[in-house]
Amino acid sequence: MKRKIVIGLAIYAVVFLLAGVYVIRTIRSATASLDRLITLHQVEILREHYLLEIKRVQSDLLLRDTQYSRNFDTVVTHAMGMGRFINNCFECHHSPRGMERLNGLKQQTDKYKAALSRVLTIRANTPRLASEKEAAFRIGEDLIRQVGEMIAFTTPRLGEITQKALSEIERAKFLLYVLIALGPLVSALLGFGFINGLTRPVKVLVESTRKLKGGDLDHRVAGLKDEFGEVATAFNEMAESLKEQVKKMHRTEQMVVVGELAAGLAHEIKNPMAGIKVAMSVLSEESYISPEDKVVLQKVVAEITQLEGLMKSFLNFTKPQNPRLEPVNVNQMLNTTLTFHLKHQAVGASESGKLMIVKEFGELPPTLADPTQLQQVFLNLFLNALHAMPRGGELGVRTFLEEGGKTIRIEVSDTGNGIREDHIAKVFQPFFTTKPKGTGLGLAISRQMIERHDGTIAVANRPGGGVLFTIRLPVKAEVGATA
Amino acid sequence: MRKWPTAYILFLLCLPLFGACSPQESTAPAKKPTAKVLLIGLIPEQNLFRQIERYEPLGVYLFRKTGKKITFKILPEYGNIIDSFKSSGLDGAFFGSFTYALAHAKVGVEVMARPLALDNTSTYYGMIFVRKDSRIRTARDMRGKRFAFVDKATTAGYLLPLDYFHEHGISDYKRYLKETYFTGTHEDAIRDVLNRKADIGAAKNTVFQRLAKADPRIMKELVVLERSPDVPENALALRVDIDASVRDLLKDALLKMNLDPDGKKVLERFGALKFIETTNRDYDVVRKYAEDIHLSLATYEYMNN
Repeated sequence: MKRKIVIGLAIYAVVFLLAGVYVIRTIRSATASLDRLITLHQVEILREHYLLEIKRVQSDLLLRDTQYSRNFDTVVTHAMGMGRFINNCFECHHSPRGMERLNGLKQQTDKYKAALSRVLTIRANTPRLASEKEAAFRIGEDLIRQVGEMIAFTTPRLGEITQKALSEIERAKFLLYVLIALGPLVSALLGFGFINGLTRPVKVLVESTRKLKGGDLDHRVAGLKDEFGEVATAFNEMAESLKEQVKKMHRTEQMVVVGELAAGLAHEIKNPMAGIKVAMSVLSEESYISPEDKVVLQKVVAEITQLEGLMKSFLNFTKPQNPRLEPVNVNQMLNTTLTFHLKHQAVGASESGKLMIVKEFGELPPTLADPTQLQQVFLNLFLNALHAMPRGGELGVRTFLEEGGKTIRIEVSDTGNGIREDHIAKVFQPFFTTKPKGTGLGLAISRQMIERHDGTIAVANRPGGGVLFTIRLPVKAEVGATA
Repeated sequence: MRKWPTAYILFLLCLPLFGACSPQESTAPAKKPTAKVLLIGLIPEQNLFRQIERYEPLGVYLFRKTGKKITFKILPEYGNIIDSFKSSGLDGAFFGSFTYALAHAKVGVEVMARPLALDNTSTYYGMIFVRKDSRIRTARDMRGKRFAFVDKATTAGYLLPLDYFHEHGISDYKRYLKETYFTGTHEDAIRDVLNRKADIGAAKNTVFQRLAKADPRIMKELVVLERSPDVPENALALRVDIDASVRDLLKDALLKMNLDPDGKKVLERFGALKFIETTNRDYDVVRKYAEDIHLSLATYEYMNN
């Protein structure tokens, strides 16, 4: 659209520029034609005046020595005037041919003036005077003939040029009228095109938004191009995502309902289950029970114990307890968990191989946390690592501060086989497990606990094999404590 | 008592006549107030129109420098210039040497400055010339020929031939020659001989040389037989009654023209290096020349007709 607007504006500008240039050119051309016409007519008038001046001087010459003779000063003034006319002509003519012709006329005029001067000044006998007068007169007549020929030659041409110039002016006038009439029309059409091009996609988007708002999550925007096309794609993606989120929300709501039902059920089952377990234990101690039956009863008790564990975990997950915060040294907690709790748990988990524990603890400040919940999270991660390395391996625990001391980062890694890529996104989901006897709640509860501490937990496969869990906990100082 | 008014009126009408007959008439003319426009006469030294064109830039320059508007008036004859002081109210003129001597004697004008030509001369001389192919070389050869004078009021164009005839014992040149006439300009006298309209001519050397530059035929086809003594070049002289301040203003502007870039350009176009101061005594040579041929400036009839 931006490109279209730029192109449109450029076309608009070019059209107006061309129209402007054309108008200016037309006006200049018309003005130039008029100027030329005026100049040509001035030249023509000048020629006519020049001819009249020559004729007047000729008449002065003829009348000399008669009773109508004009005085000397008047004759001189007339002759000077004649000279000035021809000199003025040099200011207008510039073509070589015109200059050549004018130079010829000027020479002839000078010759005439010289002859005239001679007639005016000479004092001689009558035949000589008559001869000088006649000579001057002949030169004057020749000059009149030359100027007359020039006028005769130029007058028709002047007519033609005048006609041509007037036609040009008429044509320019017509084109200007057309331009004046078409200009606003073209502007209106171009404007309409641009406005329509901008408002139509906006209208489509507004309509689509309204449909989406009305609950039509399957509605998609189609048929838009350029930037509006991109907006439409984003809109469609948003609609798709919204649809997914709504679906998830429905499912979550259903899960919450189911979870609450299950929790209630579990709670209801827990007490009868405890009764059954006690009864089975007591019964298995009775002497009349045969050894074979005792084995059976003990298996029942063991299964009930496992069911109790499962229900305890489930109830923990569905009804999590708020963390009871107290200052905690994370490194110390990790050490304690590794030293005491893991020892008991690890006996069965990695008995066939050698387990190596690598600790890299950075200096950490005490932070407010629930030690029981943190210990449970750490133990979960350690046990997961041990289960991932049934033949032994390396359990890595690393802590350090990041984000300028605002966050404690805890990394727990193993050298096991890692997690399948399609399982990685699901490991924190409740009831997802790859272990034959796993409940699928350990990591889900761990995440829940960490999130209740305003932290995050993430998992990734290590490039060299194994899994890396990363926990980020914000450093929380006790109220009143100084940093 | 009744006749008294009639007598009184008659007395009043006669008053101007008494005034006209008063002794003041014989004294110098009453001092005329200097007009805002100075009317300066030009003698027809060359083609009338070229003469005007030559002097017009000078008039424009003087107006710019002095604030005095100058109008040039070309005259058909040298002699007219003297009459024009009386009839046309000339305030001054660029005089030829002889016309100045005449005008000074007759109307009382005072010379102030003359140009120094590009060849560093401020004088000219008259020449008598013929065509080389005419076989006229002496006064004797001139018998029965046509002579083109310039004007009776010119040194070069008339006094020189008069002196020449006087020296060669020709007392009546009109009878000695077949035809004599006055061309009115030096230029025409030269051209007439060149174009065989006359056999002998007299003119001033400065015009001769100026024409020769434009027309090589003049040097090639004409030969000079006689020359006059050097006389001052055409000079500006004003009426004696012109206001002294105006006279000084004009004189100062003319004499300092060569020091002014604009003035230099005008001088270049005029054909001079500068204007130099000129006094009445510079014309003694002309007066002596006239005396030699027994010509009285006071009584000389200067008109050509």
